[in-house]
Amino acid sequence: MIELRDVVVDYGRGARAVRAVDRISLDVARGQSVALIGPSGCGKSTLLFAVAGLLRASSGEIRIAGEPVEGPRRDTALILQNAGLLPWKTVWQNANLSLVLGKEYPKVTADAVLGELGLSDVRNRYPAELSEGMKRRVGIARALSTSPHVMLMDEPLASLDTLTKERIQDLFLKLWARHAFSFVLVTHDIEEAAFLGQRVVVLSPRPAWIKAVVDNPGMGNLDYRTSPEFRDVVVRLRRELEREA
Amino acid sequence: MSRAKRAGRWLVERVEDRGVWRRIAIYAASIALLLLFWEVASVIIRALKEGREYLPNPVVAIREMVRLGPFLFRNFWISAWRLVLAILLAFAAGYPLGLLIGHERKLDELVSPIIYIIYPIPQVAFILILFLIFGMGHPVKVAIVAIALFFQLLVSARGAAKQISLEHVTSVLSSGASRWQVYRHVILPATLPSILTSLRVSVGLGMAFLYIAETTGSFDPERGGLGVFIYNNMYSTGQAFAGILAMALLGFCLYIVIDVIERVVCRWTYVGRRPS
Repeated sequence: MIELRDVVVDYGRGARAVRAVDRISLDVARGQSVALIGPSGCGKSTLLFAVAGLLRASSGEIRIAGEPVEGPRRDTALILQNAGLLPWKTVWQNANLSLVLGKEYPKVTADAVLGELGLSDVRNRYPAELSEGMKRRVGIARALSTSPHVMLMDEPLASLDTLTKERIQDLFLKLWARHAFSFVLVTHDIEEAAFLGQRVVVLSPRPAWIKAVVDNPGMGNLDYRTSPEFRDVVVRLRRELEREA
Repeated sequence: MSRAKRAGRWLVERVEDRGVWRRIAIYAASIALLLLFWEVASVIIRALKEGREYLPNPVVAIREMVRLGPFLFRNFWISAWRLVLAILLAFAAGYPLGLLIGHERKLDELVSPIIYIIYPIPQVAFILILFLIFGMGHPVKVAIVAIALFFQLLVSARGAAKQISLEHVTSVLSSGASRWQVYRHVILPATLPSILTSLRVSVGLGMAFLYIAETTGSFDPERGGLGVFIYNNMYSTGQAFAGILAMALLGFCLYIVIDVIERVVCRWTYVGRRPS
């Protein structure tokens, strides 16, 4: 579904160019999940933005569904760090925004997704009236509204308290099983990567290159957090992150 | 529910809202306090200047206002439409252009130096040229105020557009927004609160420029307006202050209108606030 071949992303040009991503190759099959983990500022968000079509790779190739990525695509949704909600739009308007932009509204609406995420009662509220957890759910609703095949997430649950974070991770797992999209999650939270990624890709400090890929076949059920297997993966990821390049 | 019905229900809710009555009470108290200060100042000046009435007391000014009613109202009306028209023209030209310059970096590099050179020049310096271009009638008065406010709104809109959170722009771009959609869904709504604040400043500034414009050019065949009214009654302080009161009333009405517009178009800024 997603193919990355020797992707390089540089900021700036000529002698002042700074390399953010260094020759990354990765495949994510349809319905599969991959978590990208690395230290803050390593270039993992840059890589995600390149996959989302918001940045152009300096070299290498990025393909989704066999087509080269040349800009944002209708089958790909991006969830940003603070959910990317627009404060001047209500929950309902935020959830429908992608559909409005794509001129699919009013033929298609986000009503069903809002119901699925338990947000129907707050549809007329503004983001400022919502808890942080609710805001993130609205962000997910907006991403799901277009029924994407690929979901890209840039630290979507950062700065949430542990319980709220785990509740949304559980919700996300259920949505993944129900909607069968492929997703790439960028995070610096080891436990989140181990809970949501079927494969966890460990990136180096800037410029980002792949230090290790950790398979995580046991993930996928809500009790996984309490299993010894989960703890083993967390320990392995920590070791890989701490390992000197 | 239709849009009109929703708007009607919203208005009824606002009026029934206890906050509205509280605001009206605060306004009334403020006006009373202001009149009291005025009275005290008038008494002090009279005592210092051996009984001469340089500053009439508020009762005299209000009595003159009532006595000159229809004549004063005619002048009030002339100034009001000149000011409103000038604000609308300045807004229609300055707001979109300011947003464009603020958001499009290349345009900013090209246009900003020109603005920085022209903006600090007091626009009244061009008054003679404007009289030559527009003649002596209404258009020149509107033009003087509109040109001054245009720069004020342009600079504010440019600043507001530069402050826009990159996250909001990225958020709509990732959903495939076109350039126009970025303006429609992010830049326009995000800058509305600060442009409305700038509009409030413009009312005060516009009044000052209107006074200058109305009192300049004594051969004007279309004389009139509060500026001329105050100027002509300079030595009859009761009447002059009736004109000044009318000017204050005009500003007050415009502030109320901007407040109502803000409540409607920037509703999101009024929600989720913690009680202070």
